[in-house]
Amino acid sequence: MTGAHASVPAAPRLADVSTAQVADALRGRGLWLDVGAASVRARSDSPFLAPQLQRAYPEFPYVDEAPWADVHVALMRARGLRRWLRPQVRLQADGREPFQPFPADHPLPMMEWGGNLFIGQRLNQLLLLHAGVVERDGLALVLPAVPGSGKSTLSAALSLSGWRLLSDEFGALDPHTRHFMPVLKPVALKNRSIDVIRAFSDRAVLGPTFEKTRKGDVAHLAASAHAVARRHETARPGAVVLPQWQEGAPLSFERLPAESAFRALAFNAFNYQTVGAPAFDAAVALARQCPAWALRYSRLDEALAALEQVWPEVKDRAAAGGSA
Amino acid sequence: MSQVDLPPTLRWLPALNDPALAAAWSLPEWDTVVRTARRLRLLARLAETLEAAGQLQAVPAPAQRLLRAEMQLSRWRTTITVWALQRVGAALADGGYPVVLLKGGAYLGQDLPIARGRLPSDLDILVPHRHLAAAQRRLADWGWEETPMDEHDQRYYREWSHEVPPMQHPVHPVELDLHHNILPPVARTNVDADRLLQRLRPSRWAPWSVFDPADQMLHSASHLFLDAEPRDRVRDLVDLDGLARHFGQRDGQINDNFWAGLADRSRELGLQEPLAQAVHFMQRWFDTPMPEAFVRQVQHAGPGTLRRAWLHPLMARVLTPTHPDTLPPWTQDFAATVVLARYHRNRLPLHLLLPHLWRKWRMRQRAEADPAAPAPEAP
Repeated sequence: MTGAHASVPAAPRLADVSTAQVADALRGRGLWLDVGAASVRARSDSPFLAPQLQRAYPEFPYVDEAPWADVHVALMRARGLRRWLRPQVRLQADGREPFQPFPADHPLPMMEWGGNLFIGQRLNQLLLLHAGVVERDGLALVLPAVPGSGKSTLSAALSLSGWRLLSDEFGALDPHTRHFMPVLKPVALKNRSIDVIRAFSDRAVLGPTFEKTRKGDVAHLAASAHAVARRHETARPGAVVLPQWQEGAPLSFERLPAESAFRALAFNAFNYQTVGAPAFDAAVALARQCPAWALRYSRLDEALAALEQVWPEVKDRAAAGGSA
Repeated sequence: MSQVDLPPTLRWLPALNDPALAAAWSLPEWDTVVRTARRLRLLARLAETLEAAGQLQAVPAPAQRLLRAEMQLSRWRTTITVWALQRVGAALADGGYPVVLLKGGAYLGQDLPIARGRLPSDLDILVPHRHLAAAQRRLADWGWEETPMDEHDQRYYREWSHEVPPMQHPVHPVELDLHHNILPPVARTNVDADRLLQRLRPSRWAPWSVFDPADQMLHSASHLFLDAEPRDRVRDLVDLDGLARHFGQRDGQINDNFWAGLADRSRELGLQEPLAQAVHFMQRWFDTPMPEAFVRQVQHAGPGTLRRAWLHPLMARVLTPTHPDTLPPWTQDFAATVVLARYHRNRLPLHLLLPHLWRKWRMRQRAEADPAAPAPEAP
């Protein structure tokens, strides 16, 4: 179940290929991005997409031919008068144009938004929690949250501090093996988070900032070479932390009962009802197995320090659970 | 496959009846099949067919994952549809009039093979016209709410339509469509609903009835061939083929009685043309087992040679999906426009149609002129 089908070991990094070559692939058969639990094939006639992809997915292998993709999207320039008057880009998927167009220079946000939507609709063999997931010591730290809670920002900061990023959006749990699978997309940072992450680490590789999208300003944090190389490696459940960013708030880090963790995991999931009984069982097991905390923070360094402090307990508990 | 004349994008369709055919497909072939079948709402149908034949585990892993995922979605949609259907049944149980399941609900209510993996979207039911208001009141009491709409649209439903505005329920994520006929009573091709109600049979769930099998086929055929938008509607043909294989055969032999009854019934109800169109595509695309005499008889009673010369290619153009990497060409847009014009012409007499279209056109113009365009929606 690792989906290694679309990766070619010897392929060069996307960042190392010429932009012209990426653009050629996009205009031709397409560019395949294997993000772990899913693969995406992109095509485009937009001159904007190739450089944007190279900045958002620099460490991914350049693959211009593969036998399969879970999601196929084409970002095509709108025709007719639209080409000259307020030019736009459209997303075509399997012979349809299901969405309103985006401004012509925003093909990447449209691809990410549409691609995530299709992943969320299609991967019903997995329980898709609405959560960021990072890994250390083989254990997943799950950050379920509603939009605006800062889960992407916290996932991004952790991924720049020795944790391996699995996803900032999808907690993709195999309900049978009970392991988390990576859905390794670039982290979509919004508005102030962009500068927060830029200031947080000089290792942060950010793509271009797209201004005035539907979600405000958006910039994508590229996944590291390490995370990309390990994007087919799963992680066992470790801990659940419900983050909430609040301006000026003092750090608060409180233990949560299992039922609170269960609610946060199950009722925010993309497909909890669709997956049915196995989803319930998996969410219950996760809530029982993992210690859970509510984290309210205004400063990233304080939040990370709090997580560092409890991590030995998480490891011990996982080891005990594993041997029991 | 040899007698079948399928367009290239539908060459995989025979696997719905003969799942062993899928064993030969390479992963790139699966890639295109999965995309096309998903668009036609047939992906779960394909998955359930393979699963029932014990062949799903032989499908290449990436395709198998998405087939299983879609099967999961379809089973969940089926569960919530059956639940809604039971609650609506409880609401309408003691009204003293028949309540009828239509289409997908009826296939579930008879446990037909084609119900498995048929990814339900809404629940279609029918009550006699004289009990329509009572049924609406009862459903309102049980929490079903009509979609809010302006006066023109309300009048359209009340006076010209064969159904009432779609209903929603805060607990049931299923749209409920309450009908009193299978075609608009003012349409040029219309049906006396009492004739359908005279031949009801019980479903497996009280109080629900279903139509007589021949009427189920005629309903499906007229729904497809007299509707406004037959694009991506190959699933209706899959339904027709499935109904034909289920009801039209007995002990592996063609059941001549069923087919003779179907031809008679199409004459009685005035639905020879949609039936002839259905038979054309069942024969060409599905190799559906049908008696030769029946096919000849239906073709004779259906559209004349001249009319066939444009009607069949027109429908084929609209029903044939494009390769998933390409958008439909202008020829399909044009054919779809012709079908739409034909639909409107059939549905409403001109003195009602022209003011209606004018109004719809003006509303569209206004919506497009509105700078606050609606936010994009998920498909």
